[in-house]
Amino acid sequence: MSEVLISLSILLAASVAAISSGLISRSGIAELASRLKLKGSTCLSVLARLANGVKSKDLVGQLKQAGSIGDFTSRILCDAKPEAAQNLYAPPDMSILNCRVRMIELKDGNTVIDAFAVEICGLIHAPEDIRRATLRISILDITDGSSEAKAVRARNPQGAPSGESNGSEFCYVAKLGRLPRQTTTLDDWTCVARLRSDGQEFCRRGRRTLRFDTSILSADGGLEFAHAWCTFVYDNPLPGYVDLQENDERTKVLTVALAFAVSAADGKLYDCEVALIKDWARDNVLESRAQTSDQARGKLEKALSTTVAFFSEGNKLDTRRLCEEVVEIAPAGHRYEILDLCLRVTQANGSVAVEEMAILKDLASRLEIDPEKFRTMAEKILPLDMHEVMDINDLLGITSDMSKEKTRKHLNREYSKWNSRVTSANPEIQTQADQMLKIIAEARGQYISAGR
Amino acid sequence: MASIVGIDLGTTFSALAILNAIGKPEIIPNADGERLTPSAIFFDEENSDIVRVGIEAINSRHLNAERSVRWIKRHMGDASYHKNVDSKDWDPVELSSLILKKLKQDCSVDNNEIHDAVISVPAHFDEARRKATMDAGTMAGLNVIGIVNEPVAAALYYATTREVSGKVLVYDLGGGTFDVTMLDVKGHKVDIVCSQGDHALGGIDFDRKVLELLEKSYRDKFGAELIGSDEDRAKYEDEAEDIKRTLSRRNVAKIMLYGPAGNMRVEITREMLEQAISDLMNRADILVEVALEEAGVEPSAIDEVLLVGGSTRIPLVRQHLEKMFGFAPETAVNVDECVGLGAALHAGLTMLREKPEAVPPGISNGLRDINLTDVCNHSYGTVCAPLDKETGRRVIANRIILNKNTPLPCEASQTFYTLTEGQSELEVTVTQGEDADVEYIKKIATHKFELPSDRPAGCPIKVTYGYDVNQRMHCKFEDVQSSKVLEVDLSLDRDGSVSQSDTTEESQERLSAVGRSKVE
Repeated sequence: MSEVLISLSILLAASVAAISSGLISRSGIAELASRLKLKGSTCLSVLARLANGVKSKDLVGQLKQAGSIGDFTSRILCDAKPEAAQNLYAPPDMSILNCRVRMIELKDGNTVIDAFAVEICGLIHAPEDIRRATLRISILDITDGSSEAKAVRARNPQGAPSGESNGSEFCYVAKLGRLPRQTTTLDDWTCVARLRSDGQEFCRRGRRTLRFDTSILSADGGLEFAHAWCTFVYDNPLPGYVDLQENDERTKVLTVALAFAVSAADGKLYDCEVALIKDWARDNVLESRAQTSDQARGKLEKALSTTVAFFSEGNKLDTRRLCEEVVEIAPAGHRYEILDLCLRVTQANGSVAVEEMAILKDLASRLEIDPEKFRTMAEKILPLDMHEVMDINDLLGITSDMSKEKTRKHLNREYSKWNSRVTSANPEIQTQADQMLKIIAEARGQYISAGR
Repeated sequence: MASIVGIDLGTTFSALAILNAIGKPEIIPNADGERLTPSAIFFDEENSDIVRVGIEAINSRHLNAERSVRWIKRHMGDASYHKNVDSKDWDPVELSSLILKKLKQDCSVDNNEIHDAVISVPAHFDEARRKATMDAGTMAGLNVIGIVNEPVAAALYYATTREVSGKVLVYDLGGGTFDVTMLDVKGHKVDIVCSQGDHALGGIDFDRKVLELLEKSYRDKFGAELIGSDEDRAKYEDEAEDIKRTLSRRNVAKIMLYGPAGNMRVEITREMLEQAISDLMNRADILVEVALEEAGVEPSAIDEVLLVGGSTRIPLVRQHLEKMFGFAPETAVNVDECVGLGAALHAGLTMLREKPEAVPPGISNGLRDINLTDVCNHSYGTVCAPLDKETGRRVIANRIILNKNTPLPCEASQTFYTLTEGQSELEVTVTQGEDADVEYIKKIATHKFELPSDRPAGCPIKVTYGYDVNQRMHCKFEDVQSSKVLEVDLSLDRDGSVSQSDTTEESQERLSAVGRSKVE
């Protein structure tokens, strides 16, 4: 929670600071921080001071910097020194149990999936009376050192949406059956498990040092017969759960920034719009108000007030770059949420200015929202009578590249859609449907019947 | 023996037809000797129990618009609409029942008792509006044995009186509504393919355009408003209707406008009318195209276009159709009467199916060869929570189970699954409409379905919807594992919600208000 707050405070404070700050690239900051060899918080405060002293209109740069500092700091602070990586060719000590991991490919239908092949060799000693054994493999991410080990979570690999884990730590358990002797020696490397790489969720994307702990246990799991561990460096292609959490927090911050940008698009920041954004921030950034400290709430309120002041002075954001970052870090669902908030902000004062509609269209496009889905959302939240100026093409989704025939069919589809809504029990929908049917008929006159 | 009756309860005019001894439908004139009765109501100023329906109501409207009602069909099914007269709120069902009561009363004089009737409705009417129409009939003392779509009724009449065959398009542009219906006709065998309708397109919309022209002319000349009262509006609405009719026969219509700033003579040309109604005609053209697309038929594949409704007399309507199809539409029958006549045929067919013993042999023989296959007028579905592929999130959506235009009788099933572990209850909703977005569809019934608890998520629930030839719908929700079944009663209130019965004090009061009224 505190991380979310810090991110937002940085963003919003930096938003204001950035008005007068210079353009600093992500790599520039990284390089600077690297040279300064500062700890994260110090680095941030230095950067804030730096930003305050330099002129810039580039708020997005600052937003990005805030995010990059987080990543960067963790890397320089936790310069991982993992235990020596395994050497696949070193001769194992046969007096104990040894394990190693290799990357293999598994076929699942037509797709090939990376998998960790866990192999063991050496000695397993079991008590005379307990021979039934179980294999257990757990994985830890020790990229940042053993003392900073992060859990590797289990993920449902089949059919689960990207990034969905079940939250529990990954642990592979398999029955080995009865050991043939009290002391069993595996002379050769024997593969005991093939673990699909999409069955785990790591903390971060990129090069991860993983510690595989392999245990041979009694069948009831109460007694450990043998244990071995090894490390394996894996290049994780997917965002980790910490990445996702950070992205989520960052997306919320960007959402607030974009919502303010939409609110200010017509040159006026209405109280109702500001109140709506603030409420959203309180509900989403401070996820649980009851558990949020007064200090955190205070920080948020201060940051929001500063941001309001920023926009009230007529300053603008570079929404293009904000959107680029959102597209980079946020899944589709979050992008729809951003657009939904922006539409509701536009709706708040009961009228839609041309500039507001323009920025909404631009955001939708930059957030890679399907134009038809955007139109559907807009129709629902911003009914016709709210528009200060009605653009028939926009409202009906007619584009310049449509032929006469395509326009005709498109208008027919729109007519079918609204005609079925015209008897809605909801009077607002009924009114909107009536209005839409009228403009569809007008559009037909304009585009199709004109040549009669 | 009681007569078999079909009633065209129209927006501007209504008509009643009975089947004669050999099963041929005949329009029965009202007490004034007119074959059509204006669907207008006037509550008498002297005696509040006297209600005038028909031409007298139209005339009285110019004197006291406050006590008159027209075009009530546009409000059918609208729970928020009321006409307050003498401290009594009259709703659309009650008002419609007064019109039906007048038809029943007038036509019973020279005929047998009128009891069993079929009433026609626009094809696009939803369940709530259909039920409201049936309730109006019941309130008027009729036994409503069925509801028939207006274009279907018209097509039945055409098919049984004219040489019609092949792919037929019925173009029904009435006083207040517009329907397009596609049929396959072979002799007396009529198969409905699909219907499309526009609830806000009809003669009164054309009249309003004419009225706008009159108001504009007056404003342009005097800089003042022509209409200053409800009575003025009522008068000029009727003048506008006359002008529209004149312009169907002549190129120019002339009228004197008597307004507060002075009087003026105005000429409205056919060209001016056609210009004024061009957007309405665009709507009509779109609806035809949508119906053709829905049926998967090109205009060139249509063999005949049948006209129904008084507004089809407008020359521009016929020109548009001729341009679209390449031939002139069929105009041989009376476009004002064919719905009522077809409704009587439909009543005969319904009686033959439901109570054959009550149908005289002559009528039975007359209807023997007629074979009608109707379709489901709307799509019916249920509310569920599928995964959105793009966002990976569950969304609340309407899933269609029974598709629009499925031939009747029909039945369709789909299986859904419980969402959570230990789910002990389901909210089952019957929806009407094509939209996937639940905000845009009608929820016509919602029930709680209790399930066995302590089960994992993903237990199958089979949903089966059936629609019979009498346009009654049956819904069944079945928990497959336990075989527990919930059958939904689809008796509708006027606002579209579900009720088990209609014996409330309120309904008794409505019944007695209509019963008390002396219709003249």
